[in-house]
This record gives sequence, C-alpha cells and structure tokens, in this order.
Amino acid sequence: MKTIFKFLFISTAFFGITSCEDVVQIKLDEGSKLYVIDAFVNNTRSNQTIRVLTNDNYFSNREAPPVTNATVILKDLTANKQYNFNYTSKGNYVFALATTDTISKIGHQYELNVIVDGNTYTSICLQKRTAILDSISAVYNDGTSGFGPPNPSYNCFLWARDKVDLVPDYYWIKTFKNDTLFDKPSDLNTAIDGTGGEVTNAGGADTLDFTPPAIFLGFNSYKSGDKCKVEIHSISRETNNFLFQAVAQIQNGGLFATTPENVRTNITTPSGAKTKAVGWFNMATVVSKTKLIP
Amino acid sequence: MKFRLLLLLSFLVFKIYSQDKATISGYIKDSKNGESLIGATVYKQGSNMAASANEYGFFSLTLPKGQHVIVVSLIGYATYSFQVNLEKNISKTYELSEEGKQLDEVVITGEAADKNITSTEMGTTKLDIKQINKIPAMFGEVDIVRSIQLLPGVTTVGEGASGFNVRGGNIDQNLILLDEAPVYNSSHLFGFFSVFNPDAVKDVKLIKGGIPAQYGGRVSSILDIRMKEGNSKKLTFTGGIGTVFSRFSIEAPIVKDKVSFILAGRRSYIDALVKPFLKSTNALKKADFNFYDLTAKINWRIDDKNTVFASGYLGRDVFGSTGFKFNWGNSTTTLRWNHIFNSKLFMNVSAFYSNYDYLIDFKQESNNQQFNWTSNIINYSFKPDFSYFANSKNKIRFGAQALLYDFKPYDATGKFENTTVIFKSDKRYGVEYSAYISNEQKIRPRLTFEYGVRVSIYNYIGKGTAYTFRDTTANEELPLESSKKYKNGEIIKDYVNPEPRFSMNYVINNSSSIKASYNRMAQYIQLISNTAASTPLDVYTIASNNLKPLLADQGSVGYFRNFKDNMYETSVEVYYKYLQNQLDYIDNANLFINPTVENQLVQGLGRAYGAEFYIKKTKGKINGWISYTLSKTERLVRGISNDNWFFSRYDRTHCLNTVLNYEIAKNWSISTNFVFLSGTPATFPNSKITIQNYNIPYNTDGIRNNYRITPYHRMDLGATYNFKKNDQRRYKQSIVLSVYNVYNRRNAFSVYFRTKQGSTFETEAVRFSVIGSIVPAITYNFNF
Repeated sequence: MKTIFKFLFISTAFFGITSCEDVVQIKLDEGSKLYVIDAFVNNTRSNQTIRVLTNDNYFSNREAPPVTNATVILKDLTANKQYNFNYTSKGNYVFALATTDTISKIGHQYELNVIVDGNTYTSICLQKRTAILDSISAVYNDGTSGFGPPNPSYNCFLWARDKVDLVPDYYWIKTFKNDTLFDKPSDLNTAIDGTGGEVTNAGGADTLDFTPPAIFLGFNSYKSGDKCKVEIHSISRETNNFLFQAVAQIQNGGLFATTPENVRTNITTPSGAKTKAVGWFNMATVVSKTKLIP
Repeated sequence: MKFRLLLLLSFLVFKIYSQDKATISGYIKDSKNGESLIGATVYKQGSNMAASANEYGFFSLTLPKGQHVIVVSLIGYATYSFQVNLEKNISKTYELSEEGKQLDEVVITGEAADKNITSTEMGTTKLDIKQINKIPAMFGEVDIVRSIQLLPGVTTVGEGASGFNVRGGNIDQNLILLDEAPVYNSSHLFGFFSVFNPDAVKDVKLIKGGIPAQYGGRVSSILDIRMKEGNSKKLTFTGGIGTVFSRFSIEAPIVKDKVSFILAGRRSYIDALVKPFLKSTNALKKADFNFYDLTAKINWRIDDKNTVFASGYLGRDVFGSTGFKFNWGNSTTTLRWNHIFNSKLFMNVSAFYSNYDYLIDFKQESNNQQFNWTSNIINYSFKPDFSYFANSKNKIRFGAQALLYDFKPYDATGKFENTTVIFKSDKRYGVEYSAYISNEQKIRPRLTFEYGVRVSIYNYIGKGTAYTFRDTTANEELPLESSKKYKNGEIIKDYVNPEPRFSMNYVINNSSSIKASYNRMAQYIQLISNTAASTPLDVYTIASNNLKPLLADQGSVGYFRNFKDNMYETSVEVYYKYLQNQLDYIDNANLFINPTVENQLVQGLGRAYGAEFYIKKTKGKINGWISYTLSKTERLVRGISNDNWFFSRYDRTHCLNTVLNYEIAKNWSISTNFVFLSGTPATFPNSKITIQNYNIPYNTDGIRNNYRITPYHRMDLGATYNFKKNDQRRYKQSIVLSVYNVYNRRNAFSVYFRTKQGSTFETEAVRFSVIGSIVPAITYNFNF
C-alpha cells in the first residue's frame, strides 16, 4: 500500500509540485520510564539473545539505556524445561548454546519471565512451523524496467513452499547481502501463506503455495560474487501485525501518513509494578539458504 | 422500489387562496445567454412583499389585485422594473441584463442587495462564479473547492489533501452535489484541483448551518453546484490554456430560446510536455499521468410549463507505467423535469446516477504475475420536489427521495503463473427513503420562521453476508461471533431518523437582523480513512448491523448587519455541533481488502463549536472579504487517548482568510489573498523504544494529538489583464498571472520521526511540506 502511495507521490513531482522534507528542531516532553523487552528467539544453533532496555528521550543520541539487573528466564511449558539468560552487555541477555541441540521446538508453548526489582513481566508464545525453502534465483536486471536501481544488477527471488492446509502461516523473510542484514524499515518483508496479503480472515482460503509465486526480495541489488542469504522465520499473526505497525510508525511521513499510535505489546506488566513494560516476544522456526551470485 | 414516502406526502393539504389576490410568476433569465438566474429577487416597490427565484430561476409572488410596480433585481445585473395591472394570474419569463461598466453610476437599491439580512438563510454562502474567477489560484487555475476553503468555518488539513472540513466535520460529511447528483471524490490529483470545471458552473452554494429540509444524507454541509444550461441565444466558445491543463467549452442553442447545450472539457498535459525531455531510462518516460473531465448538459424548454434537463459528468485521474496502472474517477448523470402546475405550484423531479470507482493493476510479464484491484460505489436516486407558494406569507416545500447505495468494497484478483487467487468482497446494498416538508412563514413583517422535518428511513439489505462480532477490550479487533447470509433485498437492519429543521430571522431594521437555527442531520454512509489526507483508494461504508448511522445536531445564532447602503456586509455566527457515531479506527487497523473491516472500526462522539466573523465589501474598485473563525473540534472514542476528549485532526483554533480584488484600470485588475491557520494537532512521541533495531516513537501518556504543528500561512497574488474590448468584435481574451505562496513559506503538512540515515540509534524529526517553493503560473483565457 505504502509503495503505491509513494509511487503516486513521486509522480506528482511532474506537476512542478515541489514537496520537500526538512529536518526540524522540536521540543518534546519527557515520557515516563518504561522497560523495553526485545525477545525474538529462534531455533537456530546460535546464541540466543533477549534485550532488556528502557525507553529514552526521543532525541537522545545514544544507544538505548540497558537494564542490567534483570533476571531473564525462558520456560518451555510443553517440555517443562527452563533456560536462564545471562547478562553480557548493552542490555543483552544471552543463552549460549553448548550442545548441538536448539532451545526451541515447533509446537511448544513458551513463557518468558523478565524479573526486574521484584516484578515479573511475562509473555507467552507458541512456536509455529515454517515454510519449505526451495531455492533463491538471481535475475539480471539491465536497469531499464523502471522499477529498481537504474544500473545493471541482479535482483533475487525466493522460491519456497507453504504448507497447504487451512492453518494460516505468517513468515518474516530476512534478507542478507554478504552477511549484512537489510534491516531498514523499508526492508521489512513478511508473507502470509505465501502471499502478500491476509486471506485467512473470513474464508479460510489457505490453499496457496509459495512456489509459485516467488517472493521478490526487494530492490536490493547484487553484483557478481555477492552472497544472497535468506532466512524465513515463522511468526505469529500478532507478531506480523506488530512488525507492520512498528514500520508504519517509523516511516510515517507524506501526504498519506496514518495517525501515529503506540505499537502494541504482548508483554504483561504485573499489577502493582511501578514501571510498565512494553516490547515483543516471538519464538521462530527458521529455514535458511544462501546463493552465490554467478 | 417502495412507496412509503408517498404515504408521508399524502397528508399534505393545499390551502385554497382567497380570490381578491392574484399571482405573478415565471422564470428570470439572463438576457445575454438565456441562463436562468438563481436567487433573483422580485418585489412590489415600496413594500416588503417579495419572492426570490429558486434553483431553476422560478419565482411566484402573490399580491392584492390592482396596479403594482414590480422590481426584479440581482447583484451584478441592472434592476428591471415594470408596471402591471394584476387582475388575474400572470406567468411570464423576465430577462435581466448584466450590469455593464457604463452603468456604474446606477445605484442599485432594493431587496436584492440586502438579501443576507432578510432571508432566513444562515451559515450559507453563495459564490458567484465571477467572484471565484477573481481569486488568485494555485497554478492559475480557478478552483471551486479551493475557493470555498477561504470562507469562514471551512478548512482543510493542508495542500494536496482532498475535500474540505466544515465546522469541524470530516470530509465525508459534506454532500457535494453536481446538478443534484452526489460526487464522492471532489479532487483531481489528490487534492490539488477540484473536479468541477469552472467554465461549466453557474452557481455554488455552501450551506453550513440551518440546513433546509430538502437536503439530507450528510451531517456537516451541503455544497450545491449548479451547472450552466448552455447559451440559448448564440454559439459561444470559452476556454483557457494554463500551466497544468487546458479547458474548452462550447455552448449553443439548438433551437433558439428552446433547446440549448453546453459541453466542457479539461485535460492536464504536463506529461505530454515533459516526456520528450526525459532520458529513456527514466521510469516516468513510459508513464501516464494525467487527468481529464467532461461536463455536458442539455435542456429543452418544451413549453412555458415544462422544461427538461439532462446533465452528465465524467472525470478520471490516470497514473501508470510499465506494468502498473492506477486510475480513479467519478461519473454522474442527472435527468430533471421542471413542471409548473399553476402559478403557485412548481415541481422538479430528478433522477440521478453517480459512480465513483478505482482500478489498480500490476503486471509482470516475465513470470506471469498479475494483481488487479477494483472498487466502486454507485448511487441511484429518484427525487420529486415541490414548491408551493401558498400566499405572500407562506412558502411550502415538500418532497421525497429514494436512494440506493450499491457498492463493491473491493474485488481483487492475483495471478501467479497457473494459480489464481480471488479476494472478492460481497457487494453491499442500502436504501435510504426520505420525505420532507417545510414552510417558510412570515409570522410578522419582521419575523420569519422556516420550520420543517425530514424523515429518513434506511434499510441495510441483502444480498450479502452480515457479520456479528463479540465486544471485547476497547481498541482491539473484535472477534467474529457469527455470520449470516441474506437473500436479495432482504432487510438486515433498519434505522428511522426524524430530522427536525428550524431557522428564524428577526429583522431589526433595514440593515440588521438576528437569525437562529437548529438542525438534526442523519448520514448513512461514511468514508473509511485513517490517513492524514484521504487517498483515492479509501472506500465508503454504509450503515449496517454493526455501524450505526452518523447523527449530528447543530444549533447556531447569528447577527447580520450591512453598512453604507449594503456596500459592506458583516456577520457574526456562533455554532455548536454534537455528533454521534463518528467513525474511528482501532490501532494498526487493517482497512483494505478485509471482508470483516467493520471489526477494525469504532464509533465515537464528536463536538465542535466556534464563532465566525465575516466582513465583505460587495461593490467598488476594491472589493473582497475577510473572515475569521475561532473554533474547537474534539472527539471522544472508547479506547483512544485514555478515553478522554482529544482534538480532531482538522482542528484549527484560529483561521483567518482575506481576499482582496483591486480594479486598477479598465483592463487591469489585481487580487491577493492571505491565509493564516493554526497548526493542526499531531501526535508526537515523548520517547522512543528500540525493538529489533527499530527505533520506534512512543508516547508514554497515550494521548492522541497532544502537540500542534507550526501555523500555516500563505499569501498569493494574481493579476488579470483583459485585452481591449472592441464592441464590434465578440472575441474576448485575458491573461491571468498568478503567484502562489509569494513569500516562499514551507508550511508543514506533517511532522514525522525517523532514524537518521546511516545511524542505528540517532533519531530526528522531519517536517513534510507539500509546497516548498513559490509557484508562479500563467493562463490565457478566451471567449467568443
């Protein structure tokens, strides 16, 4: 949707309408303190990190202030196991994987406990299945198509398959170029049952394969010798909505900006706690593939 | 179609008038082109017995039998008077000639000039197209919607935003009528130009308060635009070549004084001019972007008692490029029949069709992908309307309307090689029946009441699926409880709303009066839009089992006073408006291609109040107006802003508009306008939170619209040069120069917050301005 609006607005430049954007100085009030819990855990065999931070003045030009005295526990309610995350630095609480095993399993229910100053902030998440990743293809673009970068480059497409049944699946597709994640808000790429839109709400029309269609991995251009890596993370419907909402709040400019709103949270603050917690908890199943551009 | 409304009419009884009186009636027209003159006043000299011509130029004045001097007058026209021996009813067409320059010495007196004092109309502004033509316009293009934004009580959220806000109402609360057919999107190119071709428009009337009973269906205002009938005397061409688009219209009699037509068109052409200069690699080289509109009307005066009209409008905005198409537009058709039963009873029957639709189409040949999305809203309506000029003290108006809403929220198809996915919404239907009666009664010589009632009955009908939702936490998506399929025409939900209307005028003396009004309005259709400016993709939704109709009660009081022989008109009006069931949205609402979009919507209360000050100089070399509005507009919606009243997006505390025209010499005139508006409310963060490396703005207080962006102010200049007129030649031409945003202010449309480019944690505020420079333009106009 946003892309359409953006394209339209660019088109109006033709009419000599010189819309412009200027960085301005604004005095903002100071908000009350919040704990910010950033808990996106997955089943890969790498160290898992949960961040506990506080909010900060909007214009303070520093990294988000860490909370150093929290206790972070991830409970596998299905397997009745518990993982303790230990503080390292910059608000990061890490569970180091010592074995070949992973800490998250498809279909298991997890509970996150973050204890700060005697208050336990909690959240619950079910780990969902993911898609079957087939391959990545690279298509040569001579730069004249009108979309994408004007110089010759490669555009990458993802070929994957979604389970065909009536259960809706939500995926967060993360793309890397030479191991660097495209993490700008405009790079957010999610898919619902292999399509770009919600089809499940009323009809339960989950009949679509991922392959085809291929998912276009954005306008990021690759050159020969570059590595294109893709990870598909399974997410919940709520996580998908949260990511969209977050991105909408970050790039909310232009003629068709939406009413600014606070992003939702799935962290529960215990009654009686003086400081509220916001943030998000998701357990993801990940599949990944890498392609070397010829 | 049901005839419930006829039942409502059946109890009307016509009063028999006494035999010692007689009626003079007829049409009032322009002698030059035969256009009927709306609002001309007909009165008996030296009395306050007067009548004014209705929307079709028809008047009826009942007087005691005997000798009378009758005066016909209208601002801008030479007053016409004649002696009549009224023994029996007289019906005739009277013609007025335009007031020429040589008639400058003629002082116009009488009732027409002080109509603002004597009529019960309040919160009403009539803009003559000649007046609109003088206002300096963006890109030199005369624009009706942008002109009415200079009136008191009318604002916009900013340049480029479509529509306008009246007395704290949303843009969908204005009923925009083009020859009685509603126009759903009044903008070309988002909000930069309005869809109405000024060359085809005769009369523009904006009613903000004291809305008469014959109007209904929207709660905030009525913008009644009447198209020209077409010159019935001679063939005329009018046109203009401008910076953005060109206009051309042709008017002619087919049978002199009997049948005439007008055909007017506009098209933007910047795309055609710019393309040759683009590099072949530029994405816009292959792009289409233009808009056009076509307006046509034909009328046939069958005899003295019958006239029929057919009018139509077609407009479209087109954007596109390789593999991408996006276009939208309105089309309307109106058929009308004016019939004079007798000198006291006038009827107009209208039938109209109105359609707004859009189409988006993406296509990628290489892997056979396609996405196609359409949506539309169609109205069909039938509307008989009667004016009964009972006697010199009572003027009764009654009528009825049946209106069918037929709309398709979305119809999308995705194609990927061999797979096709269809997202198709049910069509949705609603029928609105209404009947009304009102009487304008002269209670005493100085006191006039206009009272009436409109009853609207709305049915949400099948064929379709009605959803029921469970209520849960505020500001959360409502979970689906059940859904039920309904058959064709089956009533799913109905609403009945009596809408009382009242206005009064007490004339203190020849130059001042006090007016008051109250009206209730019901609206069965609302626009779903949570963006700062409404987009062409926004869809309307009709009242249903989940959404209640929007209701508004408005009261207003005004003091009107003219000075210096009506050279200056001044007024002060205060109003209070209370709205129920206004649409708002849950956070992160999913409004597009969603069959259960109703669970993303919430309904709340609104209130708006303010004072409007207006001073207008109607005559002289320097003329124009100054308006100032002090107002407040708020909303209350469960689950939003901690359940407290918050400012609406279009609240503007102070609003000042000045429009000045100066006729320097016979051929030269200059004009200027200045606008000052308080900044619109905005929600600013008081902190940020960092999740997945996104620096998300966050307001810990949860208050919506807690800040205001900087005030908006702007000055424009315009100059018109009329080439020397040669009385022997019919050819008239003029050049209009205009400069928009003279002192180059970058007015903020919005302020948003983002992470600095290249940084992971540094954030900044960005002001977005739609117009960031001076915009000069030149237009050449001709008429022959």
